[in-house]
Amino acid sequence: MKPLAGGTELLLLIRDKKIPTPKYLLDLNAIRKELSYVKLEEDKVRIGAATTLYELSQSILHKDKRYAGFVDVFYGFATMAMRFYATIGGNILSATQYNDYLTLLTVYEPELVLVSKEGERRLTLEQLVLDKRKLAIKPDELLKEIIIPVPPENTSSSFMKFDRRRILIAGVVTGAVLLTLNDNVIEDVKISFDMIREKRVPGRAKKTEEFLRGKELSEEVVEEAAEKILPSEMERVSDWWTTAEYRLDMSKVVLKRNIFRAARRIRGGK
Amino acid sequence: MVETIRVNLKVNGKQYVLDIPPDERLIDTLRYRLGFTSVKEGCGRGECGSCIVLVNGLPRHSCLTLTATLDGAEILTVEGLAPEGKLHAIQVAFLETRGVQCGFCTPAFMLLTKALLDKTLDPSDEEIKQWLASAICRCGSYHYYFKAVRKAAEYLKKGKILFDEKEVRKNLYKLPLLR
Repeated sequence: MKPLAGGTELLLLIRDKKIPTPKYLLDLNAIRKELSYVKLEEDKVRIGAATTLYELSQSILHKDKRYAGFVDVFYGFATMAMRFYATIGGNILSATQYNDYLTLLTVYEPELVLVSKEGERRLTLEQLVLDKRKLAIKPDELLKEIIIPVPPENTSSSFMKFDRRRILIAGVVTGAVLLTLNDNVIEDVKISFDMIREKRVPGRAKKTEEFLRGKELSEEVVEEAAEKILPSEMERVSDWWTTAEYRLDMSKVVLKRNIFRAARRIRGGK
Repeated sequence: MVETIRVNLKVNGKQYVLDIPPDERLIDTLRYRLGFTSVKEGCGRGECGSCIVLVNGLPRHSCLTLTATLDGAEILTVEGLAPEGKLHAIQVAFLETRGVQCGFCTPAFMLLTKALLDKTLDPSDEEIKQWLASAICRCGSYHYYFKAVRKAAEYLKKGKILFDEKEVRKNLYKLPLLR
């Protein structure tokens, strides 16, 4: 039995025989309205798992610069037509390497609420997504909600997907940055890429974050972080699409661009 | 015996009650059960966009939608844009800008235009790009379609929604072939 929300991923997996054909599909449309919301509370944003991308784009997430990365993801995600029915929960649970919302949400450190008839349980992204297409979700559980802690005031994020065309593509490198600036000092920074090493799912570049934290933001510091620190913790793989070397090079570029774009956004730019 | 699911569908303004197998895709229901052949199957995996129809006013890939999940929905295909003998402003705009080449993708582009213009009659260039990028045209009519959206918006702004088909066809020959 498989729950079916937007179906843009699941129906393809069945069609391409990537997963055994489920005996039953559970149509979530009947409860989709209940599971589709973006609620801003005091210190957290609660996102219903069945919220479509279009509904996200109509919410606070696309208006507040602290969530600017969501706008980036939206405009690079599949095509406009698909954004009307693909859901954020469905994207997370597809648990692939080039997964836009996983890469972005990794820097926001969300809590994921799973429900079953035994009750609720809360997991972090690392606890939920074990590896590519491997999830810690039990067969009788449903992803209900994604809870993001509200970032501090002088914070913004940036998400970048690099590939040969702008839409309808997975990307050869995707990365996100959540940056908090205090004047020009990097108070906090969180960096994620589609993969760091070993696990082929989005992860955090923690060494690079540590290096940048507390430093004055400048071309030189970011350059050093991208050229020296990032390669020391990142291990890329070659495949049909491109080589490991190229991926590593582009990761550096994506990191630099993301940091400066987030910084521009904090200062009110684009 | 194949189990079926009862679905109430409103297609192009007409109500249907269908008993369908749960794994039937919307494109098959529309094409083979109801005969709306303007819906085309290209890739069958949500990439080419040729199968786009409007479900409750929003574009949707009919090849990635199970009909059984759409109980109570309202569906629009190109057949439902205008009644017999009339043409919708969008269709006229597509004809007059010579956007139509082989025509395979045209229904999808027209429906995307309809959904976009339902939201705003003053779409920005970026908006038109984003919306039209949902479908692929292998003849490469994109820049004609771009003009067509603008022209359709003009017609609709003036309140001209339905045109007489014969009249449009007669005037079509007077237009220069290329511009």
